[in-house]
Amino acid sequence: MYDISRKALSAALRAGADEAEVYMVKSEVTSIDIRKGLIEGSKENINQGMGIRAVVNGAVGFASTNVVMKMEEAARTAVSSARIRGRDPAWRSFPTDGKYPEIKGTFDPHIKDMELDECIELSTNMLEGASSLPDVLVTAGSFSRVASRRLILNSNGIEVEDKGTAISGFVDVITGQEEPTTAYEYDMSRKMDIDFFNLGKAASELASMSRQGISIEPHRTEVVLHPFAVTDLLTGIFSFAIDADNVQKGRSSLIGRTGEMIASEKLSIIDDGLLEGGIETAMADDEGVPSQTTPIIEKGIFKSYLYDNYTAGKEGINSTGNASRQSYSSPPSVGIRNFIIGYEKSNVIEDTDKGIYINTVIGAHTANYISGDFSVEARNAFTIEKGTLARPIKSLMLSGNVFDILRNINGAGKDRRQVGGTVTPSLRIADMSVVG
Amino acid sequence: MKNVDFYDVRVVDATTTSIIIDNGNVEEISVNYTRGGGIRALCGGSWGFTSADGYFNEKKALNAASELAISMHSRNPKEKVELAPVEKPVLKDLPSVKIDPRDISIEEKVELLKEMNKRAKLDGISSTSTAYSEAEVKICYTNIDGIDCEYELIRSGFVVSAVASENGIYQAGRESKFGVKGYEIFDENDALELAANAANEALQLIHAKPAKGGNMPVILDQELAGVFVHEAVGHASEADLVLEGSSILDKMIGKQIASPLITIVDDPTLHEYGYFPFDDEGTQSQRTTIIKDGILSSYLHSRETSAKLGGDPGHSRCQGYSMPIVRMSNTYLDNGNSTFDEMLEEIGEGMYLIGSRGGQVNTGEGIFQFNAEKAYLIENGEITTLMRDVSLSGKTLEILNNVTHVGNDLKMNSGRCGKGGQLVPVSDGSPHICISKAVVGGT
Repeated sequence: MYDISRKALSAALRAGADEAEVYMVKSEVTSIDIRKGLIEGSKENINQGMGIRAVVNGAVGFASTNVVMKMEEAARTAVSSARIRGRDPAWRSFPTDGKYPEIKGTFDPHIKDMELDECIELSTNMLEGASSLPDVLVTAGSFSRVASRRLILNSNGIEVEDKGTAISGFVDVITGQEEPTTAYEYDMSRKMDIDFFNLGKAASELASMSRQGISIEPHRTEVVLHPFAVTDLLTGIFSFAIDADNVQKGRSSLIGRTGEMIASEKLSIIDDGLLEGGIETAMADDEGVPSQTTPIIEKGIFKSYLYDNYTAGKEGINSTGNASRQSYSSPPSVGIRNFIIGYEKSNVIEDTDKGIYINTVIGAHTANYISGDFSVEARNAFTIEKGTLARPIKSLMLSGNVFDILRNINGAGKDRRQVGGTVTPSLRIADMSVVG
Repeated sequence: MKNVDFYDVRVVDATTTSIIIDNGNVEEISVNYTRGGGIRALCGGSWGFTSADGYFNEKKALNAASELAISMHSRNPKEKVELAPVEKPVLKDLPSVKIDPRDISIEEKVELLKEMNKRAKLDGISSTSTAYSEAEVKICYTNIDGIDCEYELIRSGFVVSAVASENGIYQAGRESKFGVKGYEIFDENDALELAANAANEALQLIHAKPAKGGNMPVILDQELAGVFVHEAVGHASEADLVLEGSSILDKMIGKQIASPLITIVDDPTLHEYGYFPFDDEGTQSQRTTIIKDGILSSYLHSRETSAKLGGDPGHSRCQGYSMPIVRMSNTYLDNGNSTFDEMLEEIGEGMYLIGSRGGQVNTGEGIFQFNAEKAYLIENGEITTLMRDVSLSGKTLEILNNVTHVGNDLKMNSGRCGKGGQLVPVSDGSPHICISKAVVGGT
């Protein structure tokens, strides 16, 4: 990996790049697919690829490939793409002087060395958990384990390698003949600490609880959102608004609002590239800037946007370590790391006299990402009466605005959990509009 | 080869180029060259699959896939998987590209995209962006039965979007065209005019009123109706979802499930974005009628689901080197004979919903939710006030039965459809349709 990466880097420089950067990933994935209650098959994917950025006279070009013998050629293509682009006056340079923090809990040798047998056993545990309740059928599910390496080199002396592992399970279940109800459960971790039996069981319990749903009248009420629903609704839209690139391009409704009270004074949100065992934890971001912890909302006050090296350069400040790539084949852009939502804990359901509890939502990607307005279908929703989940609700539309939600949060549960990169408890929101 | 019942190997070579122009500046020029393969092996009832990047050792990869299948089978034997037999596909009527995008310099492409950006930058527009992508793909397929075939395809397209802002209100407009076409896609669709349309749409929406929800009769335009056809009906007709118990269309073949006005077809042979000459398990592509005059006539099948349920294979597709699954191609509701004016007259009071910002469907429960780009109130049979943030939700089968008019102005739209973590190019379409009762959501 080092050898071919260095060759590509020098190929770019020889072709006339003023600066160059190589990003290379290798990963091994084993996954198990479940269909209709049975293990259907298993997959092994061995992936590798390289993305190269080259700078010529203040313009950046990009090329990528997954073919080792084409890597030097890709480096030259990046240089020729850069020549086509005009000089970008906002370009400063690739990151320099990486001094990397120590991180914990991102690599588990047990996951790296896991054999197929154990993968099957864990998948079977998940299936058994889901089947431990009567009349529940697992429609689909999956298990996977990943071990990956990522190397970033640039001509300013950055050289950083991260190794990581992850394990995950997903299960989708259905119950009931006449009026079927569905539910899913999902978990992902950097270390081997998922109880797969309980994961499967949780999905089945939720589907069973959701049977024989009632209809409700349209009204406004307090709504408690499960961490899944919080993640679906808040993470995508709010991270869009704090992305410095969107701010600089006039696409964010948080433009010019740092220092303002934008949320409940008990709410804090941080972006953390260093969280122990976090899904998005690494020594560096995806262009080699050391990871850091960035307060976004502190006691309701909006503190900071998130920057990669380029957007930070435009404002003459330092990157917050938020360069992110979807894969080796795309250049970096601003993205969140571990997105941690904090609010004073309480028995949030017990303390709610009347309201609605929502596990997940569908259609969050249809929201207006700029205004924050959304209208989504709530799944596995229940009425809350006198502090308990009373009746399942058949069908429910939840409408509102993400920025209003930030102000209207008035409670949080003790059930903080990691949902991908988002870490959040259940949140209670005042005065939401629901249509049954 | 080891003792497997079936294997196949797909090797994909692809070069993609993408250009993004943001507020008039080149934001990204990227070229991606990839090669790799996906190998399936079947032993009894267990599938093994491997994928590898680059110039990999096919024999070794096939052995690894076979070993996975064999070891799954020995640990966990299941009912044998049968595959419907297929003939070697015949390549015919491939789309012809008028202007090979590789013959156009990147500089020229950048100039055209910048010009589109300029056209979208009307007064009141705070930001614009245009993106272009082209892909030249070569697919080679071989399997245990001696099928050995390949094809090359060029796909290209563009998207332009504009954001209008006024007093803290932001609204976006967007236009896109993608196809199995070359560089001619810009001229054929008047890209410069579409850029201005996107901007005008955003400007109009700024002054649109937030919609009030409720139960009412609606007209859907071609795009939103097409999304409904794809999301709510198309996915529910995918035989793998039927088999796993995640479709309301299970055991409904031969039954009247929709208004007799409804005929829905999936046709991969059309030269639209979802085109393919043979699918990703080597099956010749062919047109499948999903619903004929309101009666469910067929699911969409892979070779495996076809052997289990009957029906023709030919809808097994994958992204890159992933494991193929049952997918749609070009899915549409066929023309009827109503006019738009007849629909307005019929409705009297209701809403006309236009365009789509996407949506989601639970195919197991048969419920869906889509957000329209915009809507107009219909009052006294006339189109009146422009509304925004409008959604449509309901039960798939109820909507299919509540269709009272099907127009004669079928139009297709292109996009990428996600399923099982894989994106594949598809198109969907419909004429205008009129629905007697639907749940419209507002804010």
